This record gives sequence, C-alpha cells and structure tokens, in this order.
Amino acid sequence: MSGALDGLKIADFSWVGAGPRATKDLADNGALVVKIESAKRLDLGRMSPPFARGERKNHDASAFFAQTNTSKKSVTINLSDPRGIEVAKKLVAWADVVVENFGPGFMDRIGLSWEVLQEVKPDIILASVSVAGKTGPMAGFRGYGNAAAAMSGHADMTGWPGSEPHMPPLAYGDVVAPMMLTVAILSALEHRDRTGKGCHVDVSQIEAMVHVAGDLFAEMPADKPANHDPLIAPHGVFPVAGEDAWIAIACEARGSAEALASELGLDEISDEAIAAATRLRDGEDLAQALCDAGVAAAMVLDGKGVSESADLEAASHFVIVDHPVLGRAHMPAPPYQLPLTPWHVGPAPCLGEHNREIFVDTLGMAAEDLAALQEEGVLA
Amino acid sequence: MKLLEGLKVVVLADRLVDFGGVMLARMGAEVVLAGACEMTAPRKAAWHHGMTPSKAPLAELLADADVLLEDRRSEDWPDLKGVTLPETLVHVVATGYPEETPQRPATDLTLMAQSGLMHVIGTAEAPPLRLPGEQAYALTGIQVATAALMGLRARRLTGKGQRTPLSALQSATLSNYREAVMYEWTGRIGRRVGNRLVRGSSGVRQVWPCSDGFVTWSMIDNPGMMRALVRVMVEQGAAGELAEVDWGAILVADTDQEVIDRWQGIVAKFFARHDRATLAGWSLEHGWGLSAITKLSEVPESPQMKARGIFPDGGTLPTGPLFAVHPAKGGAA
Repeated sequence: MSGALDGLKIADFSWVGAGPRATKDLADNGALVVKIESAKRLDLGRMSPPFARGERKNHDASAFFAQTNTSKKSVTINLSDPRGIEVAKKLVAWADVVVENFGPGFMDRIGLSWEVLQEVKPDIILASVSVAGKTGPMAGFRGYGNAAAAMSGHADMTGWPGSEPHMPPLAYGDVVAPMMLTVAILSALEHRDRTGKGCHVDVSQIEAMVHVAGDLFAEMPADKPANHDPLIAPHGVFPVAGEDAWIAIACEARGSAEALASELGLDEISDEAIAAATRLRDGEDLAQALCDAGVAAAMVLDGKGVSESADLEAASHFVIVDHPVLGRAHMPAPPYQLPLTPWHVGPAPCLGEHNREIFVDTLGMAAEDLAALQEEGVLA
Repeated sequence: MKLLEGLKVVVLADRLVDFGGVMLARMGAEVVLAGACEMTAPRKAAWHHGMTPSKAPLAELLADADVLLEDRRSEDWPDLKGVTLPETLVHVVATGYPEETPQRPATDLTLMAQSGLMHVIGTAEAPPLRLPGEQAYALTGIQVATAALMGLRARRLTGKGQRTPLSALQSATLSNYREAVMYEWTGRIGRRVGNRLVRGSSGVRQVWPCSDGFVTWSMIDNPGMMRALVRVMVEQGAAGELAEVDWGAILVADTDQEVIDRWQGIVAKFFARHDRATLAGWSLEHGWGLSAITKLSEVPESPQMKARGIFPDGGTLPTGPLFAVHPAKGGAA
C-alpha cells in the first residue's frame, strides 16, 4: 500500500529545523521529497549534536539531522553558482511544491523568487516559513525560534508568577511553525486540486506561536499562570520519591478532588498538603492508583522516560530505521494511523546520496553532464 | 483567499480536536460543532471560534460531510452509536493515549508532563513547569488538522475515507525534538537551568533587564555578532574591557565562568541603560541577534500583527489567518 501523499513531489530548499520538520511529515507519508543542500553551505542540522560515535566532522552522523529528515532524498546544488540555479529550476519544474526557510530576500537574490517560480511552473505552490513572515514591517527580520518566543508573548508568560520572562532550552517556534507549514502545504494542495491554481503560503513563527496561545490571549492573565488552571483544582506538579522526580495531577472530573484526598489520606486539600503526601510515594504507583480512581495523573518524564515509555513503544511512536552511518536508530513517526494509506519512516539521506537518481533518472540529465557539474563544484 | 472553501467538517469536541476544527474553519471550511465539553467563556472564544454549533441529528450532519473530528479524551459520544458513516468520510478519532494502550484520564497538564518538555522548563530549585497556555491540546489540534488533510489527499487516491486514530500523547511528545534523542545517543538527561544557556563547560544568560522590560540575547561563539555589539558599546562609552577582547581568538564556551560573568556584568549595565526599542533597533541594524521580549498584552498592538491581520477588529483574540496566502499570478483564486 502506498502513503497518503503518494505521487506528490517536493523540491525542498529548507534547512535546520523549521522547514525540514514539515517536509519530514510529507516524506513519511509518501511524498517524494528532494532535499536540496550543498557541501559548500552545509545544513546546520548536519552539524548539530548528538553524533554517532562522536563523529562531529562526518556530515552524515548527526542523529538530530537524521530525525528531522527521515524518508527524504538528498541532492547537492551550489546555489551561489548560476548553473546550479538552472538545475534547481529543473527541479522546480518537476515539483508540485517548493519549500524554503531562508533568510529574507535570499530566494529573490539567487533568482528563485515567487514570480520566477511561477514562470517555471504556473501552478507551483511555494511554502515559506520565517520568523515574522514575508510581509509587514518585520519582513526583513532574521532569527530563529527563540526570537518568536520573545515576540509572541510566550517568554513573557513562561515561568513562575512574579519572575522574569523565561526562555526554555528549546526553540518552540521551530516546532510549532513547521507543523503549521505542513497544514499550509496540504491546504494549498487541496485548493490547487479544486481550482487548478497554486499559491504562496507564508508561515510566520511568531504567528504560529500566537495562534497556539489563543486561550492566553482570551484570558489575558495579569501574571504568569505557571502550572495553574482557571477551572481545575488541584492542578499542579508535586514531588514524589526519588531525585528530581515529579508527578502532574489535574483534578478535572467531578469527584476527582475527593478521590485524590482519599488516595493521599488527606482531610483537607491544599498544594502544600498534597506535596507533603506525594513526596513519600512511588510516582509510578501513585499515578496508576490515581488514574484508577479517575484522577488525571502522570509522571513528569525526562529524556530517558520518554525514550523508554511503554505507551509510546506500544504505539510505535519511535520506529527503528536502518541508517548507513547511525546504524539501527529510533526515529519519530507521525502520531496518527492511516490504515488504507500507511506512513513509512525511512532513513534520512546522506549528503548528495541521490544525485544520480534525481538528476539523471528523474530529470533526464546526461550522466556525463552530471559528472562534469560535480567536478566543477556546481552540483556539490 | 480561503484554501478550504467547500469542505464540510463535523466536530465532536472534548479539548483534543477543538483547535483542529478551528484551524480548518480559519482556512475556509464549513465547520459544524455538533458537541462540546464544558469550558470557560474565554477558552470557548479561543478554541471554538469560527465553528457553528448545531443540535441537528448527527446522521443528518454527517450525510454530506467530508470530515468528522471525533474527540474521545473522556468518553464515547452516544449520539454517534448506530449512525452509518459515509464510505467517503475522513474520520479522525483523537484519544489521550494511543488506542493500543489502556485509556486513562488525561488533561493538558498530564500530557505535557509526559512529553519530556516540562522536565527542562524552569529552575532546578522549583517543580517542572509547563509552557504557557494549553499547548498539549493545541499541538494535538494541529495534528488533528494534519490527519484530516492527509485523509483528504488519500481519498483522492483511493476514493475512500478512512478512520484515522491519533493520540494526544504522541502529538505532545513530537514537540520534544531534543531530550529523548540526547539521552539515547549520549546518556545525558536534560535538567532545568533557568535562563542559562549551557554550552561546553560554561553557561551564559539569555534574559536581560533593560530600562523598560527585558530583552533576550546570549554571549555565544559568534565573533561577528560580538564585534558588532562591542562596536556600539564603544560608541556609547560602555565597552570597558570588552573592547580589548579578540572575539575571533577565543571560544566563549571554553572560557572560565568567572570571566564570562564579569563580561556579562558589563553587558548588563549597558542593556539596563537603554529601552527595548533602542536595543532591538541596534540589533536589527548591526546584527546582534537580540530580540525585545514583548509582553502578552502588547502583542496585539504590534505593528507586525496589525499588518498581517492576526488580531482583527482591534481585538485581543488572534482570530486572523493562520498563515498568509499570496495568490498566484492573475489574482485571487
């Protein structure tokens, strides 16, 4: 059986995280995603830890890159060479969708503007993701996901009440924006199928982070809500036995606060009383007992906990993929099942691994031309 | 320009599919809210905006629907029993835990707890923190919209709809791109380090007070950025010993923490003397990589948000487009 996106062709100029996570979604679901990269301007993802056997100089050893680029093909094109741009245009002519997340104006400067792409292929879909979007007074802003956290209200609202803004050690904008980009691309395809027309979908990391905080904007709290909820109580994170071990408890269902009190042997419910009781308990056992009693409860998992989660394993959340450099490695899979058109997670490509397959077999380039352009650093 | 005009969606909502329904509505689909759990008025305003409530029988609503978003966070929908679903219906079923596993009570907080993210948010002295707002629900909603659109693409290939189970636990976990892979490959477990950015043997600040709030910036190994910052500090008479540092010859990550703290003290005094707009303006002009931290209440007033129509009608609800759509040559489709 083929995937939901079987037959879809993507020319993927994106790099690092915000673009590649979206094209991973498409590739895992059967789209043919050709990742256009270059040894002369290496995808920073290929230089991001952790590395297999610590081989940080090996372009194909990054587990970070491998997780972000499953199921894709890789070709190398030097986009600073006009001859490279001509080859890139052939890929555009072949593709249904072009994806990019370069800095402001880069695609225009190299001769692949939205206008040019349409000349090459009139019904092409261009999908862009950037910090602030391609229009408006901040259209020229350069930055990463952390800037989006700063400008969307997330940093202001993260932390404990009364504390300074908090920047967690993850770029949430680099997570949410590509998910929005996947939705944008699929919607644009739906539109093209109905109307025959392409379009340019333009995702902003700041806006994506604003949209996922819709409840905060509706509530407009005066201070950071931390782990509290306006409707549910108790609602928080409490210590359990062990080093840096915590349980999250949310008494949402009717009667669940009473069930929590009963399980913990409390006459009166307060955050302090709950913490005093939970710190003596084994977290896993307590979470199970509370869930059995109808109380939403779960251990706060660290990286080890996520990696070893029985729930995630049962759902095949991480699938084992054979990679030529990493070996058998766990890769994240889509969180849904499409039984008639199942996804398949394949290995991330090595740098330029599919040059011959794509340039010669797919685009019809003569093998000797490929060799010459590689030798001259155009396809490198 | 609405991309999903003509699409009909029915939603049975219990927090997991709500944002997915909103997203499809925001893109032009006709979205009918046929059932919903109790929530606060502001949350209703945020998570049900654009959906049309209906009490019509489900069989009637589903007869010509393209997509059904069914939320099984808490329980089944009795009205759905006995309804024959059209063969072409794309049917997304969202549960808290994967269908293969026992279902347990799940909320945004307990789902985020299992994502691995909370463990690294906050400070070592305090309990783990969640991201602000209902991020597990929002992340699940995005995946619900994605699954529905995947189902529609698949329907064009097969002529059939399909039942598509989806779990909130996996949707929340997917947002964590770092902790599990770092543990698997290095054995390292991420900790809560507050606003420090730890690199190598040292750590640097990420959040700095200025005269009217805060900015985010870090002293990282980027010689061009450091030289650009120090150049302005020299002009302002605030560089001190930083003017003498050869940024191309040192690695901040390998510098003694004591020295970094001394350098950061000079930067802190400089930032404290200026406001966010001035610092952000210099950053944009000189390439410092600094961003002003915008207060939540200031976001709707941002010129960028106004230009992109994210908060329509001068309100504080982000009910504008999820993303901009620029039509192809020849005008709007």
